Amino acid sequence: MDEGEFARLQKAVHDARRPLNRITMQSELIKLALEGAVPKDKALTALDKIIAGSKDCSDSLSDLVAQFSPNSNDAGSPTE
Amino acid sequence: MLTVLLVDDDAEFTDVACTIIEFLGHEVLTASTLAEAREWLSKESFDHILLDFMLPDGSGLHLMESLQPEQNTRVTLITGHPSVKGIIKDMCGPNIDYLVKPIQREDLESVLQGKKQPASKRSTSAITRHFGQLIGESAPMQELYKLIGRVSKTKANVMLLGESGVGKEVVAAAIHEASDCEGTYVATNCGAFSKELIGSELFGHEKGAFTGAVGRKEGVFEQAENGTLFLDEITEMPIDMQPNLLRVLENKVVIRVGGTKAMPVNCRVVSATNRSMEEIAESKVLREDIYFRLAVFPITIPPLRERKEDIPLLAEYFINQLNEENGSQFRWQSVQLEKLQAYDWPGNVRELRHFVHRAAIMSDPEGSDIELPKTIESPFAKKQTLSTGLKAGRTIEEVEKELIYATLEKVDGNKTTAAEMLGISTKTLYNRLHAYGDLNSDSE
Repeated sequence: MDEGEFARLQKAVHDARRPLNRITMQSELIKLALEGAVPKDKALTALDKIIAGSKDCSDSLSDLVAQFSPNSNDAGSPTE
Repeated sequence: MLTVLLVDDDAEFTDVACTIIEFLGHEVLTASTLAEAREWLSKESFDHILLDFMLPDGSGLHLMESLQPEQNTRVTLITGHPSVKGIIKDMCGPNIDYLVKPIQREDLESVLQGKKQPASKRSTSAITRHFGQLIGESAPMQELYKLIGRVSKTKANVMLLGESGVGKEVVAAAIHEASDCEGTYVATNCGAFSKELIGSELFGHEKGAFTGAVGRKEGVFEQAENGTLFLDEITEMPIDMQPNLLRVLENKVVIRVGGTKAMPVNCRVVSATNRSMEEIAESKVLREDIYFRLAVFPITIPPLRERKEDIPLLAEYFINQLNEENGSQFRWQSVQLEKLQAYDWPGNVRELRHFVHRAAIMSDPEGSDIELPKTIESPFAKKQTLSTGLKAGRTIEEVEKELIYATLEKVDGNKTTAAEMLGISTKTLYNRLHAYGDLNSDSE
């Protein structure tokens, strides 16, 4: 893997970690809701956001696989 | 209550982090770019800034230039790249900390020390105490938990072997805790009593049994009925008292000193010694028949140097305990935990606990920084080095490496002084360290 590829991998992992961070924080919010510290409806919204975040993360990982696939035509091009 | 500025361009993260920070009892304002953050700083003063490392208009580090030194604002850099951690760590002064995403509530709690009392309580309880007593998640400790779990389901007597300070009494209490027995846990130290008194301590005495026996006294065997009796330093028990103990272990009856009535006793005996099995056999400090009665299930507790990954957890636990006791807000910096982890702790967990206590006493009670003594040294350290330093069967390269690291530790990592002490050039020392693959963290 050359430096360019490694930089692209780093960026892709960074992008995938972003929804993971949201998921962690939304989970913390649900814990607070269960403890009664914040309204219960916030927990429902948080659960929806977790589902959305999981899909985002899955999409990022699929993009990552596509970028590094040996058959990919744009393997050397920037991601954005 | 602290006034916090959260600088991050991820709106969803910012939104939920604000809810949590407000729940923690702080006031929080947000900025999604460096420019917005600078604007806030020109209008407000903040106690703490949570700062994303990568922002749309530049690195979060540029914001540091806009901080007024006299305001003493604490900064926590947030990064999604664990690799950036190393770079930030080097910059971390007393007022700069870092968090690596994904972030949890406890991470926010620990960096924002405003609501300290509940935060420290929560973090103490967040550390798992196995069987209500033991701390550590390393492989040797998992093995120990397995043994405790197995033996606790039986009535077998247990002998605990391990160096001084490994926590034999804590393991004994854990066995009692896991046993679900009705009786109580009673601990006594066989090395603490004179020959005359140990009989009375173990088996009790009747009124008038000897001068000073003004009343009847229950012995520890009776006190631990249906529970667990912990006999510490069993090998220090006078040899001529051991037949009396053997009789109790064999017949499960006890006769108080000065009494005639045999009373049935029913308890698990957990004994402990810091001597190795070989030493027990060679030195004849314990009768063979007693050994086999007591050591139906021997358990060796690992020394701390064999479970170094547990050191940060233990240090965290001890400092949280001290924070709760004294109302202080100390917290470790990762460099400090690394330093603790690098040391061998010949006095084991006890030495670590005392060291943490000493460091807490030395530190400013109003602040959160812990002041570590310059060197971690104990009389046991020298003993340890001497006893393990030279053994047949090791290669010259191994001994050389150990000597180099021991010297570096002694001189607090100063390579020039270490090279002088070792009688080699600094260049040679660097070459050796490079060969050991240890230059990245140390000097590069």
